[in-house]
Amino acid sequence: MTKSVELTRDADQGKTRRGFLALASAAALAAAAGTTGLLSVLFMRPRVTYGPPAKLLVGRPDSYASGTVLEFPDSRLVVRRTGNKFAAISTECTHLGCIVAPTDTGFDCPCHGSRFDSLGNVTGGPAPKPLPWFRVAVAPNGELEVDKRQVVDAGTTLEVTT
Amino acid sequence: MTVTNVPRPVDPDAGQAGLVASMRSLPRRMYHSVFRSPPLPRTELERSQSVANNFFFHIHSSKVMERSLKLKATFGLGLMTFYTFLILCVTGILLMFYYVPTPEAAYDRMLDLRGTVFFGTFLRNLHRWSAHAMVALVILHMVRVFLTGAHKAPREFNWNVGVVLLLLTLFSSFTGYLLPWDQLAYWAIVVGTSIAKYAPIMGDEVRFFLLGDDTVGGEALLRFYVLHVVVLPVALTALVGLHFWRIRKDGGLARPQDS
Repeated sequence: MTKSVELTRDADQGKTRRGFLALASAAALAAAAGTTGLLSVLFMRPRVTYGPPAKLLVGRPDSYASGTVLEFPDSRLVVRRTGNKFAAISTECTHLGCIVAPTDTGFDCPCHGSRFDSLGNVTGGPAPKPLPWFRVAVAPNGELEVDKRQVVDAGTTLEVTT
Repeated sequence: MTVTNVPRPVDPDAGQAGLVASMRSLPRRMYHSVFRSPPLPRTELERSQSVANNFFFHIHSSKVMERSLKLKATFGLGLMTFYTFLILCVTGILLMFYYVPTPEAAYDRMLDLRGTVFFGTFLRNLHRWSAHAMVALVILHMVRVFLTGAHKAPREFNWNVGVVLLLLTLFSSFTGYLLPWDQLAYWAIVVGTSIAKYAPIMGDEVRFFLLGDDTVGGEALLRFYVLHVVVLPVALTALVGLHFWRIRKDGGLARPQDS
């Protein structure tokens, strides 16, 4: 025996018990899917990273002769000594992230030809921003320490008498 | 669809003669348990059934317009794209047996694939060239679809599916590019993901999300590997299925009104 069911699509469908249950389960499913999606996004955003550290020791001040420009390609910066003044300048091109090479006049990018002067200001090419400078400090063990999270104004140096 | 000419199992009460008859008909019954149509179709109906009943032939609809079968109708670009995808899946799975996605091992493993693994050079190059071909074929396929007006109603949804397939293809290509872990791969991804930084507001966040770090390193290699070998192929497979199914539901290949 089959029971005949009236198949009508009426405007009151949301008001019947079946309509209510359908809506409620759809809402519950949507909420579950949304939560799962959000949690997946949070899961995919790392809370620890394993790349080069933002803070690094770059050697004792007296290991630099005046006028030295020492490159740290893994950390994307140079440490420069002028007289008794030390500065750390980013070598990550502000255009698309290639490592810029120190030259007599400043820095040149090999990828798309951006050029920077010795202060890191853009003098040519597509780079939109100057190279940032990082804070240099003397660590307790007497070595210079660069903190890439602390960007300072161009020209800011640390004076160390050696 | 009626299944014709299928031998029935013999009545169990028929005794020894029934058993012999049953054994005799076993090969035919086994054949018919797998294939629903005769091995050599003779009538138009059987020919049509042999296509409609076969999962692998089912990629074409059982009825196609004669015009659609001509080479110049489509140049076969869509199917050629699909075949390059199949080649990429097969060769990619084989390469996975030797490749290790870590900064220490990746480059050496790639060199081993080229130098020591039997058939490795061939498989790697097949994968590489098919990847290039797939990108070119997807674009040529889209040009053909656009120039023949096949993106218009009622096929506009399938065009959108195709655009997503294009993006998935390009992203597969991009993620695969990092895996050799040589200078070319490394700097291509440094530059490529730096472009994401230019996106307004969340540019830096998108790049961090993609690389799993601020710089391209081991995390980025692992992420790109998982995207390249699992996430993107699965998404591509699902959408390719939808894409093909929609061709049939939207009335087959586009053609002029009067043909």
